[in-house]
Amino acid sequence: MRRTLFVLLLLAPGLGLVLAFVSLVLYVAVSQSFGLYNLGGDSVFSLAHWQAMLGERRYWRALQYSAYIAVTASLLAVALAYPVALLLRKPFRGSLTLSALIKAPLLVPGLVAAFLFVNVISYHGIVNQLMLSLGLWDAPVRLQNDKNGYGVILLQVWKQLPFAFLLLSAAVQALPDAVLLAARDLGAGPLDRFRKVVLPLTAGAMQAALVLIFIGAAGDFSFQAVAGPPSVDSLATLMTSVQSTQGDWNGAAVVAVTLMALSLFGSAALAILVRGATRLARG
Amino acid sequence: METKGTFVAYLAATDIGMRFDTFEALKGVSFTAERGEFITLLGPSGCGKTTLLNIVAGFLKPTRGALTLDGADLLPIPPERRDSAMCFQSYALFPHLSVRDNIAFGPRQKGLTATEVAKRVNDLLAQMALDAHAGKLPNALSGGQQQRVALARALAVGPGLVLFDEPLSNLDAKLRDQVRTEIRALQRRVGFTALYVTHDQAEALALSDRILLLNNGVIEQEGAPRDIYFKPRTRFVADFIGAANLHAGIAEAGALATPFGPLTGAGVATGAVTICWRPEMARLGPAGVNSLAGIVSSSAFQGAYTDVFVDAAGQTVRLQLPGAAHFAPGEALSFHVPPSAITTVADTAS
Amino acid sequence: MSAKILQRLLVAVLVAVMLVWLIVPFAMAILWSMVDPSTAWTYPDLLPPKLSFERWWIMWQTTSLPTAILNSYSLAPIAALLTALLAAPTAFAFGRLDFPGKGLAQILILVPLVMPGFVVAIFFASILLQMGFFARYPAILFGHVILYLPYAVRILSVSFGQVRTDVVNAARDLGASPWQVFRVAYLPVLRPGIFAAFLVVFILSLEEFALAFVVGSPDFTTIPTILYSYLGYNFIRPNAAVVALILVVPNVLLMLGLERLLQSANPASVSGKG
Ligand SMILES: Nc1ncnc2c1ncn2[C@@H]1O[C@H](COP(=O)(O)OP(=O)(O)O)[C@@H](O)[C@H]1O
Ligand SMILES: [Mg+2]
Repeated sequence: MRRTLFVLLLLAPGLGLVLAFVSLVLYVAVSQSFGLYNLGGDSVFSLAHWQAMLGERRYWRALQYSAYIAVTASLLAVALAYPVALLLRKPFRGSLTLSALIKAPLLVPGLVAAFLFVNVISYHGIVNQLMLSLGLWDAPVRLQNDKNGYGVILLQVWKQLPFAFLLLSAAVQALPDAVLLAARDLGAGPLDRFRKVVLPLTAGAMQAALVLIFIGAAGDFSFQAVAGPPSVDSLATLMTSVQSTQGDWNGAAVVAVTLMALSLFGSAALAILVRGATRLARG
Repeated sequence: METKGTFVAYLAATDIGMRFDTFEALKGVSFTAERGEFITLLGPSGCGKTTLLNIVAGFLKPTRGALTLDGADLLPIPPERRDSAMCFQSYALFPHLSVRDNIAFGPRQKGLTATEVAKRVNDLLAQMALDAHAGKLPNALSGGQQQRVALARALAVGPGLVLFDEPLSNLDAKLRDQVRTEIRALQRRVGFTALYVTHDQAEALALSDRILLLNNGVIEQEGAPRDIYFKPRTRFVADFIGAANLHAGIAEAGALATPFGPLTGAGVATGAVTICWRPEMARLGPAGVNSLAGIVSSSAFQGAYTDVFVDAAGQTVRLQLPGAAHFAPGEALSFHVPPSAITTVADTAS
Repeated sequence: MSAKILQRLLVAVLVAVMLVWLIVPFAMAILWSMVDPSTAWTYPDLLPPKLSFERWWIMWQTTSLPTAILNSYSLAPIAALLTALLAAPTAFAFGRLDFPGKGLAQILILVPLVMPGFVVAIFFASILLQMGFFARYPAILFGHVILYLPYAVRILSVSFGQVRTDVVNAARDLGASPWQVFRVAYLPVLRPGIFAAFLVVFILSLEEFALAFVVGSPDFTTIPTILYSYLGYNFIRPNAAVVALILVVPNVLLMLGLERLLQSANPASVSGKG
């Protein structure tokens, strides 16, 4: 009994504080989406805020857009990180430099990355200048804030690749050499070794990478605000503008709950789907 | 062993060399193996055994030399298409596959039909007494069972040549003897050719048709277990296999001048030599030739025999004497060595 | 042989791509920050016509940049210190004690890492409003401490786990006081972990944007919020370049220092375990 108390006392300032804060924030967000804890006017339980928000086109577009960015960015980042992690499984000349370069974006805050990127692709930026001088384009092309969100996806992949790389290379390096040699010895070529041995044995790390990147990209504000298409909102920018320009806390709460649901269920669905796909690939 | 006329050995390695950067792991190794033969590569750790095995398997390309299997050049063929299968020291089982799927991996890669695969796998499961574990993952098995799965998995592709890299080194002593016997029986029954790597001389003596003794990247001696044991050619071979008494001497006209006085040996060289005899060949008491005497310095009872160290003519001599007799330090002891047990060895491989 | 050449080639291409990926953007930012205000850098000039540090000087004198720097660089160390202190007891429990539910607790502490930053920021602001708490500096400080507790707990529990029980027992056996036990058995092992936790929280607090932006709006500035203001509604590229460099350069240096620290904090050399 005294021991339990002791452990609880130890956990209180760290874990306790974190849990209290997170649950309070969650509680307030969910409550406000149902009209409780109103900052202005009466607090009564109502579904009106949900009905209002669900009736708005920009809400659905934001949901769709955030899901699209999150799925694309996480799949791309993992797809790029896999071959590099495999290539760097064994050290060779230059492998340290290469892995340092891949991890470098960890050092760059998101806003700075967005600025650097916008700089490079701007109307008179270096990409346009290069294409013009090579004669590939006749006139500068508008690349910034493209309507498909390619800029945002590129930024997300740039920023998230290191996480995928770190997780996957830990998994790939944990594969014993002898197991891969055994597969080879028994007649498996490079593709079969990847499908039947590497993929199943690193699927856990891949799922973890997908989930983390999905959640990060789904909740993105900075990249969308700086480099995203002007006609669409991400869930985070929508939530912020509903709250700050319209002062509608309840509407923002609806968007917040939506975003958390997307993070939770979307990432889980993606992870399960990709797991299923690797099972199929294994044959 | 002759390679006259049209006869070609099943596996033939000629002057295989392997260099890692500046380090020469193999310095020109040649050997052959007949179909169905059990060949052991024996040598101390780091002598190049695994390197040689990996070259035969195809995991490594030698920097020089030739390798043929059944008369065909092996070197351009990748490991996945060689008619050999490896049994790894760490077993290297696929941790995500059941015992059944581990064994089925090779046959499936070969494109056998599902029924053929199932038949082959079931046969092996029965032979290896693994039926009860077919659905388990490797982690749920004991070391000995994992070892058998590894063997079954290698045999499932029906290889002509099976490569073993210290397959017993992760088992405890008792199990090791048992699995050793099983491997030999299986090899006789199935008839595959075995190339077996070990650093354990007892294992090599018990298993092999022929032993290749490897040291520092060269073959120091090759031969049947009994030849290697009783007629070691070099000091290293004598020392590495079993225990040996090695002493400097001078040979002239069949007689040996040694620190113990004149001795008689069998088929000895001439000039400055190293004489060699096995401790268990010594007999208690004096005899007509090769009688020696000394003072017991220490002894240790080993069960089947007693290890006795004797100071004789300023040299330490080791005897292994059967029976339960007790030898106290300081005791005077006389013994003799039959001439047939004394040979001479070279100091280095030439 | 040809496989080796292919691999070389692949690596060379990858390194080249990564250089473009990193060096060109940074070079552009540096150039933009040094465009002299008197002569604009316009198409089709390949390089700015005149380079100077004038822009840096003007920004220092006329914008709220000094305040933002002061805010950021005072928030970061205080947040780092408080976080390390609050994390220590939980880390001790995770690293040195066994109790029912420990596995769950170790997962729960990570929850802030998967919470969308702007959801936390907006509803934290909502709670502050309901409580009528309007002091933004302590509010942001509190937010940073909570958000980065998981990192500090993780790092410190690894360190606590490396403290050797036999050394602790030996010290006790020889009659050391609790403080002396801490000094000989705990501190040498914990020190790199404490530094690492401090540095990680320091870096994260420096670059934190969501909470500072939402809770601090409209006029409490940190370096990231001031950068955002130059990127957003009034986009001034040279100003943004200056702030971006002020944000990223110390960050890179600190991170490299952290890497060094983590390498030198090789657990084997500290704990004496093989
Ligand atoms: N890939 C490699 N690179 C450099 N040296 C190696 C490599 N593989 C083996 N060696 C060296 O070659 C020698 C023989 O190794 P190995 O064949 O593994 O010996 P063993 O007889 O113990 O199996 C050792 O000294 C080892 O250090
Ligand atoms: Mg070896």
